[in-house]
Amino acid sequence: MESLQRISRASELEPFRVRFLGRRGGSLTGIMRRLSEVSKEDRPQLGQLANAVKKEITTLFEEKKKELARKPGIKADKGLDLSLPGRRIPFGKLHPVTQVMEEMCAIFEGMGFAVAEGPDVETDHYNFEALNIPKHHPARDMHDTFYVSDSILLRTHTSPMQARIMETKEPPLRYIAPGKVYRCDSDITHTPMFVQVEGFLVDRDVSFSDLKGVLTSFLQQMFSKDLAVRFRPSFFPFTEPSAEVDIACVICGGKGCRVCKRTGWIEILGAGLIDPEVMKMVGFDPDEFSGFAFGLGVERIAMLKYGINDIRLYYENDLRFLAQF
Amino acid sequence: MKFTLSWLSTFVSTKDLAPEALAEKLTMLGLEVDAVTPLYQGLDQIITAKVLTVKKHPNADRLSLCEVDTGEETVPVVCGAPNVHQGMVTAMARPGVRLPDGTKIKKAKVRGEQSLGMLCSARELGLSEDHQGIMELDAMLAPGVALTEALDLNDTMIEVDLTPNRPDCASVLGIAREVAGFTGRPLHLPVESSPVLDGSGIDFSVTIEEPSLCPRYSARKLTNVTIGPSPWWLQRQLLAVGLRPINNIVDCTNFVMLEYGQPLHAFDFKKIRQGKIVVRRPRENDGTFTTLDGVERTLEPDMLMICDGEGPVAVAGVMGGMESEVTETTTEVLLESACFDPVSIRKTARRLNLPSEASYRFERGVDPNITLLAMERAVQLMVELSGATVSDNGVDEYPGHQPLFELDLRVDRVCRLLGLSLSSEEIAAYLQAIAFEISGAGEPVLHVVVPSFRPDIEREVDLVEEIARLYGYNEIPTTMPTIAMDYPDRDPLRLLRKKVAAVCTGRGFYEAINYSFVDEKHLDLMRLSEEDPCRKVTRLLNPLTEEQAVMRSMLLPGLLENLQHNINHQQPDLRLFEVGKIFIQQEEGVQPEERYQLCAVCTGLRYPGASPMFFSGQQSDLLDMKGLAEDIVESLRIQGTNGPLDFVPLADDCRPYADSSSCISLVDGKLEIGRMSLVHADILQDLGIKQPVCFFECDLEQINDLPVAGKQFTPIPKYPMMKRDIALLVPDQVPAGDLLRAIRSHRAEHVESVDIFDVYSGKPIEAGMKSVALSVTYRSPKKTLDDVTVDRIHEKIVNSLMTSFGGRYREGT
Repeated sequence: MESLQRISRASELEPFRVRFLGRRGGSLTGIMRRLSEVSKEDRPQLGQLANAVKKEITTLFEEKKKELARKPGIKADKGLDLSLPGRRIPFGKLHPVTQVMEEMCAIFEGMGFAVAEGPDVETDHYNFEALNIPKHHPARDMHDTFYVSDSILLRTHTSPMQARIMETKEPPLRYIAPGKVYRCDSDITHTPMFVQVEGFLVDRDVSFSDLKGVLTSFLQQMFSKDLAVRFRPSFFPFTEPSAEVDIACVICGGKGCRVCKRTGWIEILGAGLIDPEVMKMVGFDPDEFSGFAFGLGVERIAMLKYGINDIRLYYENDLRFLAQF
Repeated sequence: MKFTLSWLSTFVSTKDLAPEALAEKLTMLGLEVDAVTPLYQGLDQIITAKVLTVKKHPNADRLSLCEVDTGEETVPVVCGAPNVHQGMVTAMARPGVRLPDGTKIKKAKVRGEQSLGMLCSARELGLSEDHQGIMELDAMLAPGVALTEALDLNDTMIEVDLTPNRPDCASVLGIAREVAGFTGRPLHLPVESSPVLDGSGIDFSVTIEEPSLCPRYSARKLTNVTIGPSPWWLQRQLLAVGLRPINNIVDCTNFVMLEYGQPLHAFDFKKIRQGKIVVRRPRENDGTFTTLDGVERTLEPDMLMICDGEGPVAVAGVMGGMESEVTETTTEVLLESACFDPVSIRKTARRLNLPSEASYRFERGVDPNITLLAMERAVQLMVELSGATVSDNGVDEYPGHQPLFELDLRVDRVCRLLGLSLSSEEIAAYLQAIAFEISGAGEPVLHVVVPSFRPDIEREVDLVEEIARLYGYNEIPTTMPTIAMDYPDRDPLRLLRKKVAAVCTGRGFYEAINYSFVDEKHLDLMRLSEEDPCRKVTRLLNPLTEEQAVMRSMLLPGLLENLQHNINHQQPDLRLFEVGKIFIQQEEGVQPEERYQLCAVCTGLRYPGASPMFFSGQQSDLLDMKGLAEDIVESLRIQGTNGPLDFVPLADDCRPYADSSSCISLVDGKLEIGRMSLVHADILQDLGIKQPVCFFECDLEQINDLPVAGKQFTPIPKYPMMKRDIALLVPDQVPAGDLLRAIRSHRAEHVESVDIFDVYSGKPIEAGMKSVALSVTYRSPKKTLDDVTVDRIHEKIVNSLMTSFGGRYREGT
């Protein structure tokens, strides 16, 4: 057994086998053969012993054989520096705006909202008139509009889809409309193009408290389960009552910091019950149906989620930015 | 809208209301507070000081040497102000104190004389623009008192970001009304009644030629006016909200506008020709008109003008004229308090690009019932501040008088829309608190009279919002809608876009998003001919810059600019893609066609960011693009309309921005749906990019229309495969891909697949030839193939290759 242990090369295996287990000159075979020379009483005992020894040596020999067969591979692995980085095929990433937009869509889709998209270059009718913003309404001041012609413009929000869908479909309706929107405004906090997700729900007996439920639920999914959300009155021509929705500042947790202008709250979306005028324009009876609509800026949510501090970074497409998310 | 707490408290008590608490309450009522700014910060360190003696400085003509009583001691101070005089009480900063501009006062020697402090002008203390001399305070003030206390300067400015529906709150009165509403405290008006004006016994007249644009025009005349500066109490309120004090008369008009929300205008009566005021549209012979700001304006026929007996004296509701402006020499004033049509004012202010405090209020809607009250307030102030006398009578033309608006409000409707259960009485109480008149409290339908200062309340639902606002949005319960389940259709194009993006990111491409509007010069950069369809761009009428003037008709230029930006920032190894819309201009007056496209670009290392140890610096090339395209086609299972999509090298017919020696077209039969190439060297040079760039672009709308191969199980082969390798020498110009194609055509003869594993030219291969090494896999679905059969097929295929491509076996294999 000692000599079996000492074996380190496959070439030494065969001489060992011949020496101990060989049919002709193997020492164990020899012992078996000479059993006949032993007395009859001792023969069974000695036979059993010889068989056991042979079996054990054979087992050990087979193990040694397997071990030696394995050895070359093990040796090569020993040369690998395990601290080296893994061999990775680089992968790309979606733009952070797309990532956040898809996350938002997924949450609303989970609540049964369908996704609809419309044209970026819209008519004045769908962008304004159908949303109860007639020409020369001061609310147009809230929308610095890029015009293509008198009646055609770059949509200032994705709300036109609200009118487009309500014109063609009957309640119950629940849709979100993600997409690029445009305002002629460019400074540290505004880019002339940004991405918005607008949504609406119309059915019988939809109330302001339903609006609060859906939006609170969305915001808590988006940020954190215990996020504080507050609703306060505001004005949009296409909703009445209208609300501005704030969340507890995600930077300071509500204690007050530069981001939340020391108020502890961050304005995150606009919403409201769909104005009866908008309903009437698409032929819905506002006494029969009610609904709510809301709109959120994707960049703003991405800024809050990821701590991005300069909105202009979004559209430079610098790899050092894109690779972070 | 800005106001100060001290001003607000003249209308309603703000006792026990901290500025922050007030701001919070207003915000939650829909009057979003943008800023709460403590005023006169640091002025508690400034004290009153009495000048005891004034002597000439021995070494400087313009300086005085003063002895000043600080209340605690008498100290020497050197002063340069011309108005310093014995006995005056002024403001003093002692050593160690900082002025609002940050200057720290130190003990100093001024031309050899000791000075232990500084006597201050109003401007130095940030109180006003006045820098004529040091502040002359009430001589009765004791020295040594903090200036904030002496002048009652503990105040806070609050700025509200008003929504367009609340013109009533563009006034201290409006804010005060809301505060009175939620505190239950009484509202005090500085003037509560005004005399009736019937136009008799006065020496001027008012004619409204356009009653639809001017529902009301009230005016009174003041004589014996002495123009001068306003007192500090008035100036400080104007300064605190960002208005520059001008003179007592103009300041009064501004002050009352801010108080009541009623814009007022004061004319120099002597400049009003014939004593006539005519409200009319401009006439052709009116010519141009110079506004108060000194700018000459061209008048349009649909503007509304205030004219005198001869011509315009003001742009109605927007701005007064230079000619009739109140100046230092004015002794008689005609005070206008009028109401104009919001849309007309808005159009005019826009046309003249002249937004003013007045037009801001008129275009949102001024309460027509407040002209007299506001005018009375202004008149009383003017009499007090300028020593003027006022004519007993005046004019009050009110052609647009209308009864107050009345509405029915269904209690049930309120409750259903808000998800609340409120009683009729509760609803009535909410509305009464903000001055709505209610009848029928307790009934299921309330009758509501809307006050004239709330032009935004026109419908039942507007009242519902008022109740929600007063009840508190946060107090309304939070519930989930109960809506019938359904499974809405998914937009296939949107799904396609997501899948394409997933393949791209999986292959190392980062998503870029570029602006939809671009520089038209992009099209020149792309070397597009004048007839190129991508030249049909949609142009913006009012772009921010020329770089963002037209809607993009292709994605590639934006991505090339992204590469340029990154390369300039030391990032030369790049893979970017964009999935976005391009815009194709249609005929005039029609929206452009919008199509989703994919564009991908790559340059530099094939595996950017991966350790060079593993991938030894391989550079990406066009086959990376082809690989991406193949992956998209295969992983999305895209089929052609007749057979699979094909990649066809193009010799001519390349797009002008492609390198014509390296164009591949992705085609469905004859129809091109995508293309890839190296970017033309001239373009890269124009962009300063010094490394090759490959691109792939395709139209996703076209792809979306193509059939998708269904997933259909085929049994896993039961019998083993056999491989045979060939190394063929073929002429250089034979595309290796053609050999693959030729071998694949033998599918019937058990060819399962074929791969190229090497292409080589150069020694020892003779010039003009290359070696292509291929590995062919044979398998039969019915039996195990034997060597003899496979060899026979293989030989046949090799022979046919040699015949059709003019090749031969490479020797030595």
